[in-house]
Amino acid sequence: MRDARVALAAGLVLSAIAVAIVLAHSPVVLTGTNGIEPLPTPLTSVDGGASGCQANEVLPARSSAIRLSLGASAGPRVAVTVLSGKTVITHGEGVRGWLGYVVTIPIKPLNHAVSDTTVCFAFTGAHERVLLMGVRTPTRIAATSGAGTLPGRIAIEYLRRGSSSWWSLALSTSRRLGLGRAWAGTWIVLLVAALMATGVALASWLVIRASR
Amino acid sequence: MSKRKHPRQQASTGPQRKGVRSSTRRTGRTAERESGMPVAQRWDRTASWGRVISGLRSVPSRLRRVPMAAWLCALVACLNAISWSFITPPFQIPDEPAHFAYVEQLARTGHLPSSSTQEFAPDELVALEDLEAPRVAFQPEHRTIASRAQQRKLEADVASAVETSMPGSGAAGVAASQPPLYYALEAIPYDLGSGGGVLDQLALMRLVSALWAGVTALFVFLFLREALPGTPRAWTVGGLGVAFLPALASISGAVNPESMLCAVSAAIFYCFARAFRRGLTPRLAMVIGALTAVGFLTKLNFLGLAAGVVLGLVVLARRASQTLGRRTAFRALASGLVIAASPVCVYIFVNLLSHHRALGIGSSIAGLTADHRSIVGGLSYIWQLYLPRLPGMHIDFADTSPIRDLWFNGLVGDYGFEDTYFPRWVDNVALIPAIGILALCGREVFVRRSALRRRVSEFGVYFVMAAGLMTLIGVSSYLSFPSEAAGFPEPRYLLPLIPLFGAVLALATRGAGRRWGTTVGVLIVVLFIDHDLFSQLQVIARYYG
Repeated sequence: MRDARVALAAGLVLSAIAVAIVLAHSPVVLTGTNGIEPLPTPLTSVDGGASGCQANEVLPARSSAIRLSLGASAGPRVAVTVLSGKTVITHGEGVRGWLGYVVTIPIKPLNHAVSDTTVCFAFTGAHERVLLMGVRTPTRIAATSGAGTLPGRIAIEYLRRGSSSWWSLALSTSRRLGLGRAWAGTWIVLLVAALMATGVALASWLVIRASR
Repeated sequence: MSKRKHPRQQASTGPQRKGVRSSTRRTGRTAERESGMPVAQRWDRTASWGRVISGLRSVPSRLRRVPMAAWLCALVACLNAISWSFITPPFQIPDEPAHFAYVEQLARTGHLPSSSTQEFAPDELVALEDLEAPRVAFQPEHRTIASRAQQRKLEADVASAVETSMPGSGAAGVAASQPPLYYALEAIPYDLGSGGGVLDQLALMRLVSALWAGVTALFVFLFLREALPGTPRAWTVGGLGVAFLPALASISGAVNPESMLCAVSAAIFYCFARAFRRGLTPRLAMVIGALTAVGFLTKLNFLGLAAGVVLGLVVLARRASQTLGRRTAFRALASGLVIAASPVCVYIFVNLLSHHRALGIGSSIAGLTADHRSIVGGLSYIWQLYLPRLPGMHIDFADTSPIRDLWFNGLVGDYGFEDTYFPRWVDNVALIPAIGILALCGREVFVRRSALRRRVSEFGVYFVMAAGLMTLIGVSSYLSFPSEAAGFPEPRYLLPLIPLFGAVLALATRGAGRRWGTTVGVLIVVLFIDHDLFSQLQVIARYYG
């Protein structure tokens, strides 16, 4: 019984500390895009081992990740290389087995923006074809894959950690959570907190009671 | 910790030691003693509908016998699912617009959807547009609406759509081929909220859906009480683990028949555990049959569990023939199977009478499955979807481990439209407690292997239910392979097996032994509370941050 109480108290205190630490971090923010909306509009599909490049991109300063609009159900590992001319200025590799219509690849951030870059991507290890999402463009500005030209350009977003912590964004986040629903209002956040607090309190009581 | 034995624990000691067969015999004799007449004679009376009705009348007293801990696990699951229903933006769960459209069609016209297109009713389309739902769904940088002006426009448009209410469009997207029971129940909150418009209706429908999470947790607790009768605290740990499982809460906090399917499946698992422990009675056979019928009427995925249910009834009836007599046991089996199959038969009969295709809109799906593919290739693919590839198998998942990358990581966190997940390091860290829980569970299974051997037929039934569902998901995925490597790899499709998940948690608690069992049980519950809290924060960050 005492062991259970100690374990529960220690567990909940550690959880609270973990939540506080996580909320002290900053959210990921957009530093730039290539102007193409990342809607799930397939441009074409390529082989799971394909590679390609897209020129005329601008890499914003301090970008720590690149988000490509690709579609797969068990996506391949995606490696991204950003070149200025023929010089590699940054590089990164994502995880395998991703699902959905976007994949985010962490890259080494640069302190300055670089214009007129080429973003190259290479897939390894998928048996399914990968959808490339974007818009149709004239051939001269379209992305390329292998020896051929793709029918358009892929949507690309550049990301980095923001400067504000989640704590400082708590109020605006709460206000937003209260919108776009029935019975709108910031009070919904308090309701959710109360529901979870009640659930955790009941579970704590129950698990202590069960250990008697 | 007190060493007092729980009454249930004392009661269970006999059957556990003597094995299931002796327990059924004993139960049969006890039943004869209690009723004062042979069980076979009693069956003739119980089979009558009058008995069934009187059985229904005894439901309140039976409910009072359910332990308070089970009710509290259910309450916690409900609260958690309600919380998820508030933090998940409207229509931001896969297929929720389609499920809503199904309910709308059913409630407004009384007819099932006739088309699987996305041309939903105008009021739903207005709400989807004002909420910018497609952009929010597919663009992670695009959050939900943020200004009072957008909210006012949304409210005005929804209110105006209420005034110019039009009949359903007949379309229900991907939900169109699903059976109607869940949607018929959801038509009640839909009607209750009809004065307020789409958002009120959706919120009320989500609350009703959240109740199914409670029912699921309740039956998981009861299943564990029957299947693992020795350790009451393990039932609580399993029940609470399920109650805080974000995958269940997320889907139950939305309009999705998966929530009801989980509850029905958990109830069937409970009935089987009860029947294997106490013996099959005619009434229990009918209850299993009725639950199976409800399952068929809830979601097509229930087909995956059906083979296991039939096998379970056959095995139980065969065992019951030693206590009830062959004829009575056969009648119990027949009644269970007839009740179970009745909705499918009625559906086919009505369709044939009205000159429609036998399986209705589902026939088009059946047509799709009539694709000529290699059976060996299919078996190899399904194997690799869940297990490591064997030598000689064609490589269907190169450089990807489905069990790790799709199932485990998906269970750790995969919300919204598969774009809300934890960083990869969280998935890696999550492996530590997962391996610990599996190791403790494995230890318990090893230590109790002789007792488990005596229950091999019961575990065989659970295995066939699990394998059936996994095969169904595998076949569905294989049909879209290789254009999609894994068309249905979402862990939510495995949620009907959630009682087995609860059993793993309960076994891990027992596997930690007397000294550490309590602490480990508490830590498992805290682990799932944390998993749930951080998952909610992840969703809040994605949509509102």
